[in-house]
Amino acid sequence: MITLEANYSKKIGLPGYSSHQFSVTLKSELADITQAEKESARLYAVLQGSVDHNIRQIGFLPGEPAKPNGNDHGNGHTPPVETDAWKCSDKQRDLILKITDEHKLDKARVEQLALDRFGKGVKSLNKLEASGLIEELLEQTGQSKPRNQRFSPPKAGAR
Amino acid sequence: MIAIIENGAGSVAEPAPIEKLKRTVSASRLNCWLQCRLKFYFRYVLKLTKPKTAALHFGSVVHLVLQQWNMTRWRRQPFEIAKLKQVFDTGWLDQGGTIDWDGEEPEQKISAWNVLEKYFTDTPIKADEMPEAVEVPVEADLSQHGLPVLIGVLDLVRAGGRIVDFKTAAKTPEPEMALHQNGVQLDCYSVLYREATGKRETGRELHHLVKTKVPKLVITPAEPMLEYQRNRLFRLMEDYVDGLDRGNFIPAPGFGCMGCEFISECRKYDGGRHE
Repeated sequence: MITLEANYSKKIGLPGYSSHQFSVTLKSELADITQAEKESARLYAVLQGSVDHNIRQIGFLPGEPAKPNGNDHGNGHTPPVETDAWKCSDKQRDLILKITDEHKLDKARVEQLALDRFGKGVKSLNKLEASGLIEELLEQTGQSKPRNQRFSPPKAGAR
Repeated sequence: MIAIIENGAGSVAEPAPIEKLKRTVSASRLNCWLQCRLKFYFRYVLKLTKPKTAALHFGSVVHLVLQQWNMTRWRRQPFEIAKLKQVFDTGWLDQGGTIDWDGEEPEQKISAWNVLEKYFTDTPIKADEMPEAVEVPVEADLSQHGLPVLIGVLDLVRAGGRIVDFKTAAKTPEPEMALHQNGVQLDCYSVLYREATGKRETGRELHHLVKTKVPKLVITPAEPMLEYQRNRLFRLMEDYVDGLDRGNFIPAPGFGCMGCEFISECRKYDGGRHE
């Protein structure tokens, strides 16, 4: 007997720097190896459909009153999910979150700063705008670097 | 194999591995590469450092004040010349280091402030014009073209996507020559801007602050980068990577040698290959 184990996982960004993730794993038994390709494709479709259907229920978000979870399938009350969460690079996203976290900056104020400067929220900033925001946050937290050192890696624990 | 040169005036840091220099590239590195590969070798491979020159100090303090001025508009703060003068005075002292002024420091300081005042009077940038970006470090991964990551810091991007680079100069620049001489830098900035925003810049501008007796501001506009200019830049980057691979650090004797800080090291350079 051959056992085929398949896992499908998806993580999406949510408002207020939140994200949520859902993964489903299935095991299937095969009579012989020639069935593997077909069965694998079937499992992928089933798992993806299941994850995509369920992950729309975003549940509780920090700063919002708790919502009933899991009972509002398709009733039109689920807020839209931001699937294209951050427009800047992953490195920039991580740095913004790290500065905010390490210096305990108020996320609402960071969001407001982005709105003031660029007319859009943090997650919608392109790479140029995100770079500007990072420079501003670094200055606010006393970590601004001279021009010729902007690309040198940050010291451990400095950023 | 490259011979390490003993030098008197400068200091030697740990040499930069060639592999590291191949991973990223910048406009200043490309310009140095074009100017003289041996100069590049001394500056970026051997990392020889030399005392800051008066001209470099002048330029960096002027840049510092312009950055502050741009930031003020970006933060929607009022224009206050007294505050900028304070930034200037502090910057002049802080960034001074050990410069050989040859007795000209007071004169140079006055000249630097005069040229800034001229800029604030004549600049085409309105007080309420919000910049798109001020002094932002950006990078463009060009690996899909087989090239290194391009890095750079944009002085200013004006509203609507006009890239501005500030320059200080001793002589009034001639527009066509200014664009020719700064082409690599402007094209690098265009590539960086496009990669960072997904948009084409609407134009480029060189703002020359000229420190003549009567200070001048010369603004040289340029069109957005064209396809052939981008191709030329990419060919230069290819040459940069190939040259580094081959250890091609041949000197380029010429007019540029007159102001070169590595002239004494260059005179002793033995060709670098030892069979």
